[in-house]
Amino acid sequence: MSSSSTISNPDANSNRTRESKRKKRRKIEVEPQNTNLDQSKWRTDTEQQIYSSKLLQALRQVRRSNDSPSRAIRETADRVLAVTAKGRSRWSRAILTGRLSLRLSQINKKHKRAKLNSGNNIKSRKPVVKKRLPALQRKVRVLGRLVPGCQKLPFPNLLEETTDYISALEMQIRAMTFLTGLLSAGGTADQLG
Amino acid sequence: MESSQVRSASCGGKAGEMVHEFIKTESGGNSFTALLELPANQAMELLVYSSEIVSPKTCYHYPKPPIFPSDIDRASKFSVFSAGNSPETSSFPSNSSSKSEFVKQEPIDSESNPNSSPAFSNPEVNQKTTKRKEHQKKGNESSKKSKKSGNDTSEKLPYVHVRARRGQATDSHSLAERARREKINARMKLLQDLVPGCNKISGTAVVLDEIINHVQSLQRQVEVLSMRLAAVNPRVDFNLDSLFAAESGSAADSNFPGIVSPSIWPEGQNRNQYQQLLHIDGFNQPVWVREDDNSSSFITPQNSLLIYDSSANSAALHQNHMKMEL
Repeated sequence: MSSSSTISNPDANSNRTRESKRKKRRKIEVEPQNTNLDQSKWRTDTEQQIYSSKLLQALRQVRRSNDSPSRAIRETADRVLAVTAKGRSRWSRAILTGRLSLRLSQINKKHKRAKLNSGNNIKSRKPVVKKRLPALQRKVRVLGRLVPGCQKLPFPNLLEETTDYISALEMQIRAMTFLTGLLSAGGTADQLG
Repeated sequence: MESSQVRSASCGGKAGEMVHEFIKTESGGNSFTALLELPANQAMELLVYSSEIVSPKTCYHYPKPPIFPSDIDRASKFSVFSAGNSPETSSFPSNSSSKSEFVKQEPIDSESNPNSSPAFSNPEVNQKTTKRKEHQKKGNESSKKSKKSGNDTSEKLPYVHVRARRGQATDSHSLAERARREKINARMKLLQDLVPGCNKISGTAVVLDEIINHVQSLQRQVEVLSMRLAAVNPRVDFNLDSLFAAESGSAADSNFPGIVSPSIWPEGQNRNQYQQLLHIDGFNQPVWVREDDNSSSFITPQNSLLIYDSSANSAALHQNHMKMEL
């Protein structure tokens, strides 16, 4: 009874915090640059436990999208990861706030490109020499696209975000591997027993 | 202390001793450092006094009132540390400075670390701990070494010598550039430690390639795992529900903890559920099976899911025993 309430409430709380975080982050644009993203915390067990528990709660709430359930789960896992990050890192904030706005911006870009292409057909037939950015900068761009929300970040900040992101991803993989094994084995045991 | 001895030698016995004694009573530590911890006017008096006493020829280094570090730009103070040899690089707030000074190593240390141990005894250590500029060219190091040894002898002088580092532009732009590169290099180092197999590679581009590959592989792993989890997911609700249904039973049975193993069932159980939730050591199938058998479980839902100590095994066994005995 009480324990069940504590179970369900944190779940709702986590949803609510997600919502509020989304709203908060949209308002607060200028944030102090926190230079200390300690990524060793991602390796601790406690973080993994917190993540696993939250993921479990979230998974129970996942809406089964029929077209691709793995995508839904992936997004849930990412969101929970971002919540676990407590919004201290840019990529986590971007995950929490950005799913919608990211898609909108992508749609806008497509529209723009469509307009340009329709207008410049003649020009596009001529060989257009693309300006080759130096290889390093190209790679930096690629990396910026990989890490969510870090596309136009200056290089040192991007590196910092990347370290945090890599640690978080590794923790996510550990936790999800464990959970998958847990649940699958539990499922088979149920069938047997 | 060495500095005070040297000073007393150079500045004449009496004055030096007086200074020495005064400062020893004041701080009991590094005399020259203490000298500059004093408010400017007091120290001025001291030095002026000493300069009056001392014959000009021995202490011609006191022609003017000494320039106290407080008057000097902070950046130039910090730039003193570049005289050290440590190749450590750390980010440095870019400031303008025309020339760097070498003399004021210890007083600057004292200024920046007023509570630390005497800087003079460990100039290098303090240099490492405080922010410094990087030394770009290795050829500079040897020149700096000679300069540092020169510094040691000149440190006794309160007169500030300001010199440019050899072969390095002291332009504010290049300072900023160097600081920026410092930051980037430090972060790249962290990343290299994180990404396996990047330690041996040198060169930013290749390391970046590795990092990108690593991030992509991690993301792909997450995809695969989420697929597997999705396959398992339809059963998630079932498992959890069956366990949660046993809650009412578990509340009564949770009084076992005192007997069996307090480590797993903490006192404030409901409160600490989420912290004590998972003792995940490894995956133990037998435990899971056993827990399912005891559907009226004595383990609260969260704990039941995710406790995989060997002690959990023994605890479950004990609990079985207890139940059977009852």
